[in-house]
Amino acid sequence: MTALIVLVVLLPLLGALAVAARANSRGAGIAMVVGALGSFAAAIVLAAEVAHRGRVEAWGGFLYVDALGAFFSVVVSLVVVLASFGSAAYLRVEEQRGELSSFQARLYFVFFSVFASGMLAVFSTGNLGLLWVLVETSTLASVVLVGLEGKARSLEAAWKYVIISSFGVTIALVATLFLFFSASTAHLTTSERLTWLSLFSHAHSLSPTSMRLAFLLAVVGYGTKVGLAPMHTWLPDAHSEAPSPASAMLSAGLLVTGMYAIIRYRAIAIACLGARYPGTVLLFLGFLTVFIGVMFLVRANNYKRLFAYSSIEHMGIIAVALGFGGTLGLYGALLQILAHAVGKAVLFLSSGHLVLGYGTRDAAKVRGVLTALPLAGGVLLLASLGVAGSPPFGVFLSELTIVRAGFAETNPFLPALLLLFLVIGFVSLLATTLAMVSGEHGDVEPVPPYPARSDRLLASIPLVGGLAAFALLGLWIPSGLNELLMHSIRAIS
Amino acid sequence: MSVASVASAHVTGTLESLSTSSLAGTLVTLASVLMLLAAFACLGSKLFNRYVFYYGVQSVVLSFAAAVVAYHFDSGELWALAFITLALKGIAIPVATRRLLLQRLELRRDVALSTGLSTSLIIGALLTGFAFLVIQPQDLPAGAVASSAVPLSTALVLLGALCMVVRRHTIAQLIGWLITENGVFLGAITLASTFPFIVEAGIFLDLVAAVLIMVVFVSGITRRLAEATASELRELRG
Repeated sequence: MTALIVLVVLLPLLGALAVAARANSRGAGIAMVVGALGSFAAAIVLAAEVAHRGRVEAWGGFLYVDALGAFFSVVVSLVVVLASFGSAAYLRVEEQRGELSSFQARLYFVFFSVFASGMLAVFSTGNLGLLWVLVETSTLASVVLVGLEGKARSLEAAWKYVIISSFGVTIALVATLFLFFSASTAHLTTSERLTWLSLFSHAHSLSPTSMRLAFLLAVVGYGTKVGLAPMHTWLPDAHSEAPSPASAMLSAGLLVTGMYAIIRYRAIAIACLGARYPGTVLLFLGFLTVFIGVMFLVRANNYKRLFAYSSIEHMGIIAVALGFGGTLGLYGALLQILAHAVGKAVLFLSSGHLVLGYGTRDAAKVRGVLTALPLAGGVLLLASLGVAGSPPFGVFLSELTIVRAGFAETNPFLPALLLLFLVIGFVSLLATTLAMVSGEHGDVEPVPPYPARSDRLLASIPLVGGLAAFALLGLWIPSGLNELLMHSIRAIS
Repeated sequence: MSVASVASAHVTGTLESLSTSSLAGTLVTLASVLMLLAAFACLGSKLFNRYVFYYGVQSVVLSFAAAVVAYHFDSGELWALAFITLALKGIAIPVATRRLLLQRLELRRDVALSTGLSTSLIIGALLTGFAFLVIQPQDLPAGAVASSAVPLSTALVLLGALCMVVRRHTIAQLIGWLITENGVFLGAITLASTFPFIVEAGIFLDLVAAVLIMVVFVSGITRRLAEATASELRELRG
């Protein structure tokens, strides 16, 4: 079991190893794809084992995987698979066009590997101090991807990203300190005072005042990574300026990783303080985030920023679901995390086709994608329908579950407000993407994004495969997944 | 006797035995006050090499405080942390910032201030008062050094944030973040001195990586814009 966890975490580093062995960008891309597939397969086996035999604990709590961790490993390693296929094709085209030097392309694969491996490591530790270190490591690796192109715009985005999220993560470190301090009243060894499981099972003997502070600071600190308003300002810049496969990783992977930390803190806080205080904090920030996300969806004119604001909206919805609580709320939140990850990865990967094909990120200049680039246009249309919450895609099912949880757990005003925001978000996202896919081409004459046949194949696999998985999630939840979700909910309540 | 030794082992774990009246407690409190003064000095200056100098002074004082705590508890791990702090924050980061950024990019005077110096000092004073108001002493162990050092470290966190907000130059923002980091570390050695060493080591590794990446971006942005002020970084909006 321990070996399995190590495989999940370390296999994505194959990409970096290939670069160290002086592979070119094609070789590194293929190595990355192989590593990601291996890691995904190992994560599936791990999840099955954990659901069957219970949690894994080793090395004094530093290595710890329960059903929740296994679920997140599956989600993020799936995102890594999709993004690796995309990267292998996208980076080669950028290199051939002279947008990136071969050094930059190799740099990309090194930091992409570290980024992926760092995120997967977050889910396999039970020590909240080490969790902090790993979240910061994966953030730093992703900063390099954002600033990779070295243009003034991408450097600006990368600077904003690194300075705001480093500050946010520092706040999360203060939260870790206060959590550690809150356990001084419980009889725990110093290492147990940072171990999630022992904190969770001794939650009643933690000091409530410092626990309250620790939870609030953790939501603000890790919330900066998640993009919870008002700490979301770096997010649209970073997600729009990064190369598209890296945007997919940021949006579908890193946001989810931050949310994982918040879920862990929430579990301890509820066990220590009761559901009211953590629920109120999450509902307040969640609704604020959904509001901000939806308002900017209305006025965004850069399509990658549009998708980024849709991610902010989704994260707000997940925070609201965690605030509603109850089994139904948690089920909806976890399902939304999975559906968001798959849908947003596909959407950002399809935006890569548009960036390469049209050479612009301005939605007003992109017209007639369905006729010019049929595959990318079709995927863009269906994925944005799905991400906005239309059936039969996964997000529809999860958002429906969350609204139902709201009606069951709180007064009906809150879920009704959420529904209103969802409708506005749906209309504004679809208004922009429908205009992009339909009609004849406008000012910009598109060029074929992937001239070589092998690149075209590599770039199409994640679009088709991801979209199929995304649609399937709305129609059918496999019994294994359902079991994993139920075990995850039991692990944190 | 065994009960007493168990109790004292438990107490040393939380640093509750380090009282404000003991010599070590007095020294740690004094160091915290000096760190606050260094942050104010940084906030009241306009020259880049002063920023870096005051940050270096602050870090040396911080490593002194860590050494006092290490001596008091006779803990090898804490000694190691004190030395790492001195080597890294007191020497390596200031020297690297000066060599790689200030000298190479010929940066002298910070003109990208969004408020006057006196205004930012007044706001800083208000924030310090605010830190003492919000940190309720009854939440902290009574009579322990943490009750005086934690409000001061909160004030440092807020002053670092203020520096990042009122200064628009990338280097000033970098120093502001480092001051925040020092404030958190001060809180850590007084509130949670027994943090597992492996975690502390990881925190330092991340700090090094973050500073390296930021240095690369600062020089990249400066070369692109000749005069790197974050206020000119306003292409991305909406």
